[in-house]
Amino acid sequence: MVLPSSRAPIVNQLVVYKVGSADEVYGKTGIAHFLEHMMFKGTGTVGPTEFSRIVSKNGGRDNAYTSFDTTGYYQTVAPDRLEMVMRMEADRMANLRITEKELIPERQVVLEERRMRTENSPAALLGEAVQEQLYGRHKPYGMPISGYVDDVKKLSVHDLAAFYAKWYMPNNAILIVAGDTTADQVRKLAEKHYGPIPQRKVDPRRRPGEGASDLPQRVTRADARVAEPRWSRYYLAPSYHKGESQYAYALEVLARLLGGGETSRLWNNLVVDRKIALSAWASYSPSSLGLTSFDLGVHPAAGTPIVEIESAVGGLLGKLLDDGVTAEEVERAQNQLLAAAIYSQDSLQSGPRIYGGALGVGGTVADIDAWPQRIAAVTPAAVVAAARHVWRADGLVTSVLTPQEGMR
Amino acid sequence: MSRLLRALAALLVAVLVLPAAAGAVDIKAVTTPAGIKAWLVQDKSAPAVSLSFSFAGGTASDPAGQLGVTSLMATLLTDGAGTLTAQAFRQRQEDAAASVSFSASLDRLGGGLRVLSANREEGFELLRMALTQPRFDSDMIEQRRAQTIASINQANQRPNSVAARTLMETEFAGHPYANDPDGTPDDLKKLSQQELKQRAASLLIRNGLIVAAVGDIEEADLARLLDRAFGSLPVGTPPALPPEWKPPTKARTVVVERSVPQSTALLALPGVARDDPDWYAALIMNHILGGSGQQSRLFSEVREKRGLAYGASSSLRVYKRAALLVMSTASANERIAEALRVVKAELARLRVDGPTEQEVADAKTYLAGALALALDSSGAIAGLLHSMQVDGLAPDHLTKRAALIAAVKIDDVRRLARRVLRDEALTTVVVGKPVGITADP
Repeated sequence: MVLPSSRAPIVNQLVVYKVGSADEVYGKTGIAHFLEHMMFKGTGTVGPTEFSRIVSKNGGRDNAYTSFDTTGYYQTVAPDRLEMVMRMEADRMANLRITEKELIPERQVVLEERRMRTENSPAALLGEAVQEQLYGRHKPYGMPISGYVDDVKKLSVHDLAAFYAKWYMPNNAILIVAGDTTADQVRKLAEKHYGPIPQRKVDPRRRPGEGASDLPQRVTRADARVAEPRWSRYYLAPSYHKGESQYAYALEVLARLLGGGETSRLWNNLVVDRKIALSAWASYSPSSLGLTSFDLGVHPAAGTPIVEIESAVGGLLGKLLDDGVTAEEVERAQNQLLAAAIYSQDSLQSGPRIYGGALGVGGTVADIDAWPQRIAAVTPAAVVAAARHVWRADGLVTSVLTPQEGMR
Repeated sequence: MSRLLRALAALLVAVLVLPAAAGAVDIKAVTTPAGIKAWLVQDKSAPAVSLSFSFAGGTASDPAGQLGVTSLMATLLTDGAGTLTAQAFRQRQEDAAASVSFSASLDRLGGGLRVLSANREEGFELLRMALTQPRFDSDMIEQRRAQTIASINQANQRPNSVAARTLMETEFAGHPYANDPDGTPDDLKKLSQQELKQRAASLLIRNGLIVAAVGDIEEADLARLLDRAFGSLPVGTPPALPPEWKPPTKARTVVVERSVPQSTALLALPGVARDDPDWYAALIMNHILGGSGQQSRLFSEVREKRGLAYGASSSLRVYKRAALLVMSTASANERIAEALRVVKAELARLRVDGPTEQEVADAKTYLAGALALALDSSGAIAGLLHSMQVDGLAPDHLTKRAALIAAVKIDDVRRLARRVLRDEALTTVVVGKPVGITADP
C-alpha cells in the first residue's frame, strides 16, 4: 500500500506482521515483544546493533512496536534511502540471527522496559488486572503484551527462533510506504527485495468469541503511589472483526458523544453541571482481531465518594437507553470523528499507522475508504441499539484506583 | 446529513487519496497592514491551516505569591470568550472542526490554531475572541484550579515527573526557573479572577509576538485574518527577563525516595546557549553521546552491552537565560548505581578522548537529514518556523544549516566536550529506592 505525499523530502516505510502477543500461549508469554527487540540484533550481513546505526548514519530514524494483534517496524528516511531500508527490512524478515550472546543483555532491557512502563505505574498494573478479569486468565488478551516476568526470564533462543519461523514471512506481512515516492517505484523495489523471500503456510489466528466466564468483576488497587483516585468501567464489546460487528460504527459515535472531550455528555453532567468530577471520558477502539472493550473513566473531584460517581454514571447510561440521543448530538460526534481523521492524515507517521493497524487485523482498503460514509450513516436509533447491546450487567469489569489511606 | 458532515466525509476521501503537491519548505516573511509580522509556508497538500504563535514572558515571570498564574490563565483563555460560555465556545470550535489552544512555558506564552481552510474565517474569529475577550468565569476558574492542583499531586507520584521537577529545583535553586510552571497548590488556591485578568492583559500584547503559519492559505488572506485576531491587542511592554543564572559550581547528588522497583535518574550539566558559536558542535557532541536513535554511546554502553536500562539518552535544553545538557536513564533499584557509573564513565571518556572521525561524520549525516524528518505534519512545520523565530534566526536559515553543520571540525567537538562535560558541575537526581547511591547532605 502506498500513500504518496511530496510535502517534505522523506518517506516512511512500515512493515506490519500479522502476529502479536495474543498469539502466544501461557508459559511462553512475552515472545512477540522480545522478538521485536531481537529484530535489531543482526543477520548474516548486518551486524548485531548495526540496523539502527545504519539508518541513523544515513540521516534516518527507526523504531518498532508490539501490540496484542500486530508487530510493526518502521523507518523514516530520505527518498533515495528507501531502497536501502527496504533491503535491510527484507533481510531481517528472512535472515535474522538470534544468539545467546545478544539475548542475555536484551532480556534485562525487556525487563527494564516493563519496570518502566508497568511496574513503576499503579495505573498500568491495574490495567493489566482489568484485562485479565475481562478476557479471562491466561486467555489471549488477558495476558500482558510484555509477557509475565517469570516467562520472559525463561524464554530461550529456541523459543524466539521458533516464533520467528512461524510468523515472519512476506505472506504474513503488510508493507506500507508513505511520503515522497510513487506506487510504481515502491512496487518495483518491493518486488525486488521482498519478492524473492519464500512464502510459507501461515497458521490461522484464533481469538475467543467471548470474554471471561465469571463477569461482572470488580478490581480495586489501593496504592501508596496514587495521589488521585480513578473510577473506570470496561464493557466487553464487538470489534470490526469479532462479535456483533454491525454495532462497531455506532459504538464509535456513542463513545464520542458520551465521553469524547469537554462537550460530551459525561463531561457536561459530571464536571460542568454537578461538579463531582475533574474529568470524564469514554473510548472504544474497534480495530482488533478479537473482541474489544467499550471503556468509561472518571477522575472524581476531591471529596466525592467513588460510590457517588458510580451511581451518577449508571444514571447517565440508563437515561441514554431510556430517552435516546438527539440527531444533533449524533451529528456533532460524527463531525468530530471525521475531523480528527482528517487531521491525523496530516502526519506522515499516523497515516501508515492507521492503515497498518487496520490491515494487520484483517481489515481491507475498501473498509478504510468506506469508514467516513459508514460513520456518517450512523443514526440515533443505531447508537441506542449499540449501547443496549454492549452495556450488559454481566459483561463488564469495574476498576477503582485509590490512594492508600494514611499513606499520603 | 448536514453540510459540514458531507463536506468532512468528502474531504476525508480526498485526503486519503493524497494528491501530491509541490513540496520544499519555502518561507515567506509576511507583514500585515496593522504591522503584525509572521512567517508563512504555503502547503496545499492538506486542506488545513496551522498557526503557531507566542508572546514574550512565561511562567518564570509569575509574580511572587502567584505561582501558576500564567499557566492557569493560558488554560482559561479558551474557557469562554465574549458572549460565549466555555461550553458554547467549545461547541463553536467543534462545529468548525477548529481548535484554539494556549500553554505557557518558562519563557513564553504559546498558542496555536488548527482549522480546516474552508472554515478559516470562523477559526480566526474564535482566536480573536480568546485573545481579546476572555471571560474568566468563576466556575471555570474553580474547575481549572482543582484540575491543576490534582495534576500537580499526581505528577508528584510519577517517578519521571518527580525526577524532572527535582532536577529543575536543584539546578536552578534561587532562580525563577526552579519554579513549577504549573505553580504551587498554595498559590493556586489563592489566585483571584482579578490577578488572572491582569496577567492576561500584561502578556497578551503585540510587542514580542511571534507568529508562524502553515497550510492552504494565501498570503493576503493570512495578513487580513492575522489583523483580525491580533490587530487590536495593545503594543505594550513585555515583562522583564528573569535574572542571569549562575550555574552550580560543585557536583551534587539528590535522592528522592519512592517505593518503586525501578529508579529514574537525571543528570545535568550547564549546557550550550543557542547563540553560542559552538552550537553546531554541541548538536554533534550530543548526538554522539546520547542523541536520538540507537547509535549513541550511552545507548550502546548502558543498554546494548550491559542491558542496564531500556533507555539511556541525552538532550540539549535551551532557555532564555540558561542552557543544560541533560542525561537520563532508569534501572532496577539494585542496578541504578552501576548504570550511573557507566553514564559518568562515558562523559569522562568523551571529555578525555573526544569523538572519533567516524562518529563526527555519522552525526553530521544524521543531523543534516534529521531536519527533514521533523517536517512530517503541518503542525510540526509551524512549530519549526515558530522556534526559528524565537531563536532569532532568519528565514533563509534552513538553506544555510547544512553548511553550518558541515563546517564543524572534530577539534571543535573535542574542545566543546572538554568545556561542557565536567564532573565538578554534575547534578545527579535519582528517584526510587536506589541501592548504593548516597545523597549529598
